[in-house]
Amino acid sequence: MSKVQVYVYADLRQFTGGAAAVEVDAEPGQTVAAVLARLGIPRERTKIVFVNHRAAQPDRVLKGGERVDLFSAIGGG
Amino acid sequence: MATILRVNMSDLSVRREDIDARYQELGGRGLTSALVADEVPPHCHPLSAANRLVLAPGILTGTGAPCSGRLSAGAKSPLTGTIKEANSGGMAAIDLAICGIQAIVVEGRPAAGKWYRLRVTPGDAVLEPADDLAGLGNYDTVARQGERFGGKISCISIGQAGEMRSGAASIAVTDVERRPTRHCGRGGLGAVMGSKGLKVIVVDPTGGQRPRPADMAAFRQGVQKFNEALLGHPLTGEGLPKYGTNSLANVINAAGGYPTRNFSDGQFEGVEPISGERQHDVIVERGGEIAHACHRGCTIRCSRTYVDEHGEFLTKGPEYETVWAHGANCGIDDLDAIARMDRMDDDLGLDTIETGATIAVAMEAGVIPFGDAAGALRLLEEVRRGTPLGRLIASGAEVFGRTYGIERIPTVKGQAMPAYDPRAIQGIGVTYATSTMGADHTAGYAVTANVLSVGGQVDPLRTEGQVELSRNLQIATTAIDTTGLCLFVAFAVLDNPAALEGICEMLSGHFGRLISADDFLALGRQTLATERGFNKAVGYTAAHDRLPDFFRTEKLPPHNMTFVVSDEELDQVFAGIG
Repeated sequence: MSKVQVYVYADLRQFTGGAAAVEVDAEPGQTVAAVLARLGIPRERTKIVFVNHRAAQPDRVLKGGERVDLFSAIGGG
Repeated sequence: MATILRVNMSDLSVRREDIDARYQELGGRGLTSALVADEVPPHCHPLSAANRLVLAPGILTGTGAPCSGRLSAGAKSPLTGTIKEANSGGMAAIDLAICGIQAIVVEGRPAAGKWYRLRVTPGDAVLEPADDLAGLGNYDTVARQGERFGGKISCISIGQAGEMRSGAASIAVTDVERRPTRHCGRGGLGAVMGSKGLKVIVVDPTGGQRPRPADMAAFRQGVQKFNEALLGHPLTGEGLPKYGTNSLANVINAAGGYPTRNFSDGQFEGVEPISGERQHDVIVERGGEIAHACHRGCTIRCSRTYVDEHGEFLTKGPEYETVWAHGANCGIDDLDAIARMDRMDDDLGLDTIETGATIAVAMEAGVIPFGDAAGALRLLEEVRRGTPLGRLIASGAEVFGRTYGIERIPTVKGQAMPAYDPRAIQGIGVTYATSTMGADHTAGYAVTANVLSVGGQVDPLRTEGQVELSRNLQIATTAIDTTGLCLFVAFAVLDNPAALEGICEMLSGHFGRLISADDFLALGRQTLATERGFNKAVGYTAAHDRLPDFFRTEKLPPHNMTFVVSDEELDQVFAGIG
């Protein structure tokens, strides 16, 4: 089965037991929001979402094979 | 009443002067740029007696306004040939404000080889011989001032790079622990200070008084509103204190805009070992300090204290830009080695961005291989020894790249680009190209809407919206730089209208008359027009507001993009401003 690679950062790692990357099974019609729910990551804490290095909204449907990056509020410079 | 301190290094005189009415309500970048534009001949050599180094606290510095401790430094830049403003955290700006100093203007030049200390107290200012400090790094220089003048002082100093009048030389400012960890980094202002024979400024605020707002009640109301906005924003209230600026490493890398091996890739395979997350864990495990304030009254506390394997202090941060410049940009994934480079940069008095970018160009030239951390540290040691190779490193990326016949030199107006590739983050490319300062991310930080979802969203790979985004940010940034507030307050300002209301209320309370958001932004417009006027008089035109050619010809992985904002669009950034 095709997978989605999910990378999480900073405070969001508390929801993956400290893991920086997790893999979830691809499912038909699965959105980024559904992946967040499966991982127990609160949507309101997820400020930045990338799918394949491009910004994406939570309603983005994942086909499988994508890389998803999830960030809480990040900044500096 | 606040005064300007006029320091003449030719006749070694110091005098206090009542501030001219037209400067009375200015501070920070607004004041340093106005004084440079009014008093420095545009065509002068930046290291000549005719150039002037201007230092100024912001309008709100010392008042107790949160995060308002920035020290602005201005002069004609030896690196870019443009007007230059670089600002820094640390304690000196607050202490100068308490001494009643609105600006220090250093002019002239002493006999060659002579070094001086300027000592400032609330009632006095004197120049003293300081030949004994010649050749010392910033850490030793500052330590000696502490031993001699006691614990209340703060220092503004140069290291060996400033003494050598190098293009990458910074001006160091001491932090709360009186360490020279904060710097007016960009544009070689340390070389201007070195050309004046001024090794260190010691500020002792003992007996001085904080500037008192004209309308204390209105001021306090603004402080409360502003504080609530800063503490309530997830970035300024949580993200920055916990993970620091280097939390950006992973997000910029994931966005494909993390310049790697001298801007030849947009992603670094070794990012995790040098990320903000790893840095946080290392600091906590070793007993360093996160959520550290670089000056009193900072509520964001993005600084940190980095200790070595034995728990001994090594350096602050290091900050995102430094970790990138000496890390990904050099193909180096060793955080401890990067921290040692940061310590050396701070001690030598080098801009970490320019220095890392120069080492990366040296790697491209084959002087040392990419990824060679020990070699990079050796190059910094060459700077300390003042060897020809060390002086070349301290001269910046443009000079080094030209000397070695390198095509890929990531500079604009002679200043190296910071840690965002403009091919993957087009908005920051607009700022790099058009800023009055040369390539500078802080001048208009379009990374906010391009990547961080702060202040809205603008697609980083398209041209639409980038010019307007950069223009608005450049105006707002210049206004913030004038107040003395740290630019990081902008994250809250861009997302929460109450933050800007708080700033305007603090300014209204300070001046005792109503300051609107339009008045606030007018500060930015006016200063940008002044800076552009100076640059035009030097000879800068629209043709200089461009990125190096390779950004339009070399595609950057992973998006395989070039810089696509047209020249015609770039020329619109300052339409109607100057």
